[in-house]
Amino acid sequence: MAEVYIEDFMSPGCVGCPAVKEMLKSLSEELSGEITVEEVDITVDTTRAAQYGIMSVPAIAINGVLKFMGVPEKQELKKALMEELERDE
Amino acid sequence: MVESSGKLEGVVFVTDNKFSCSEEGQIAIQNAIKDNNLDRIVVVACDPSLHLMTFQRCTKHLGIDPAFVDLIDIRKWTMFGSPSKVDKDQALDNSKRLIEQAVKRMRLKRIIPKITVEVNSSVLVIGGGVAGLEASLDLADKGYKVHLVERLPTIGGKMALLYKVFPTNDCAPCILAPKTAYANIHPNINLLTNSEATNVEGHIGNFSVVVNRNPRYVDEKKCTGCGLCIEKCPAKVVDNEYSRGLGERKAIYIPYDQAIPRKAVIDVQNCLYFQKGVCRLCEKVCPASAIDFKQRPKAIELKVGAIIVATGFDEYNPAQKIEYGYERYGNVITQFQLARLLDIDGPTRGKLLRPTDRKEPRSVVMIQCVGSRDENANGYCSSVCCMYALKHAQIIKEMVLPDTQVYISYIDMRTTGKGFEEYYKRTREIGVNFIHGRPAEVIEDDKTKNLILKVEDPDIGALLRLEVDLVVLSCATIPSKGTKQLAELLGINLDGNGFFKEVHPKLRLVETNVRGIYICGSAQGPKDIPDSIVQAKAAASCVDSELRKGEIQLPEFIVKTKKTN
Repeated sequence: MAEVYIEDFMSPGCVGCPAVKEMLKSLSEELSGEITVEEVDITVDTTRAAQYGIMSVPAIAINGVLKFMGVPEKQELKKALMEELERDE
Repeated sequence: MVESSGKLEGVVFVTDNKFSCSEEGQIAIQNAIKDNNLDRIVVVACDPSLHLMTFQRCTKHLGIDPAFVDLIDIRKWTMFGSPSKVDKDQALDNSKRLIEQAVKRMRLKRIIPKITVEVNSSVLVIGGGVAGLEASLDLADKGYKVHLVERLPTIGGKMALLYKVFPTNDCAPCILAPKTAYANIHPNINLLTNSEATNVEGHIGNFSVVVNRNPRYVDEKKCTGCGLCIEKCPAKVVDNEYSRGLGERKAIYIPYDQAIPRKAVIDVQNCLYFQKGVCRLCEKVCPASAIDFKQRPKAIELKVGAIIVATGFDEYNPAQKIEYGYERYGNVITQFQLARLLDIDGPTRGKLLRPTDRKEPRSVVMIQCVGSRDENANGYCSSVCCMYALKHAQIIKEMVLPDTQVYISYIDMRTTGKGFEEYYKRTREIGVNFIHGRPAEVIEDDKTKNLILKVEDPDIGALLRLEVDLVVLSCATIPSKGTKQLAELLGINLDGNGFFKEVHPKLRLVETNVRGIYICGSAQGPKDIPDSIVQAKAAASCVDSELRKGEIQLPEFIVKTKKTN
């Protein structure tokens, strides 16, 4: 089955992060495929954020590649996830 | 962990190795790649900020893209002194979870296309103190165009206020002036005083920066620095910047005699024209017609390849330690204020006069670690206070008032630097009194305005009661105003004390979490001038290594996301 591994970079005081979280939750219910969302708190795991060169949160990496910085449009995010889900098939 | 990792989807080969980063360990990884035809590697060991590159390099010639080599840190769960340390079972659970995530990430990851981008060979240096100046001059001499941005109207930073510097007792402005003067005329340095960076976008090689130039209300090109406007200006105000509140200046002023650039600036808060719409005397007397009340803030856009942050420090406000009576008692001052009083270019022209009655003090107590090494203020050691207290004690005893009794009341004297211990020894020899303890509080005598302290000195086993004329507080160095906002603007991290955070506290001291942005001087943590100079040169060297090739390979996502953002 197609898989997507999402890293949702966030921090406790971040304004846009809850919106991204909500978006990812609804998209993982909506899309078929195995979607794993890992929340990465950049104040706890600073090295991971640095490896991606993340300068601000929210930021989303999909299958190990940083795709979005800031809050994306839901359609854009959906498109990016679909691309990943479809590429194995 | 080996057993559980072997069961994860996609894992072909697992082994353990005591020293993966050793030559032997690296050969073992290379052999495993060859024997098992591996194309993706996860190394489970320590901090990737230092060692990821080691593993990427050792596997690269076997055709493995660096993107397919990952290093995850599980040592943090068990390492002595690690802030993330947990018990053994928890550590095992955490590690298994991290390995699972890393394997999954690596399995699903695909090659990240890289784009070669041209780099801009100019550099932004934020902060015109001694560290920022050194970095700017180093880079400018190497041929880079440097934009040096300083918030204040003059460059030189805190060093210009120190009068003398330890351990040589050189005159601070004298050894600083060659640098400020050179920066002012260097063809590769664009000096932007009275300015602040307000927006930063982009990535290494191609940062786009907006700098806001605050108005001086004096045309820098026309002003000759003759000082006639200052002479005629009727508005006298307390000089909180250069004289640290102990002297006066006018509403139009040149911060100090050796100021660079030597151009007047109008302080809007105190200018009669700006506040009441009257006066304009400066405009009338200026022979160069340089006064321009119509100046407005101006935003300029700069394209730079790298950024160095050298925003320095501020002195901790000791009024927060109410027991010492700063701001309540007139004769309690800080070491920075004392430096201004001792300076021949200071408000008293080098005469040590206590603030309340302008009399020479016959006794002075310096209290160390005010706001430093204090869990209720700042837990860290500010590292320079012991030395500047010794310096001021020497100046008082040897140059200004040899008969005055000087006491230094301390927890520990920390004099770790080249020539510093000898300096401490000399201070003891010239008759400065050291009290191994700090007073619980300072009380003012209502009539004489003298200050009374009680200190217990365990070294001599006695409770001392001192009545002195002047108390000087050796205050902590704290991150300069605006550090937090700048960190947010640049996307770089701060440490627990609010200073800019380096990638690694021992090995990568001037790099930040953002490639292309470097830190140096006291902005990174309290330090003295020699250390600031060394760091500034290190930061300049880092910039040079990144920019000198003229182009840089970056992962596509960095280039794209930063552009669309």
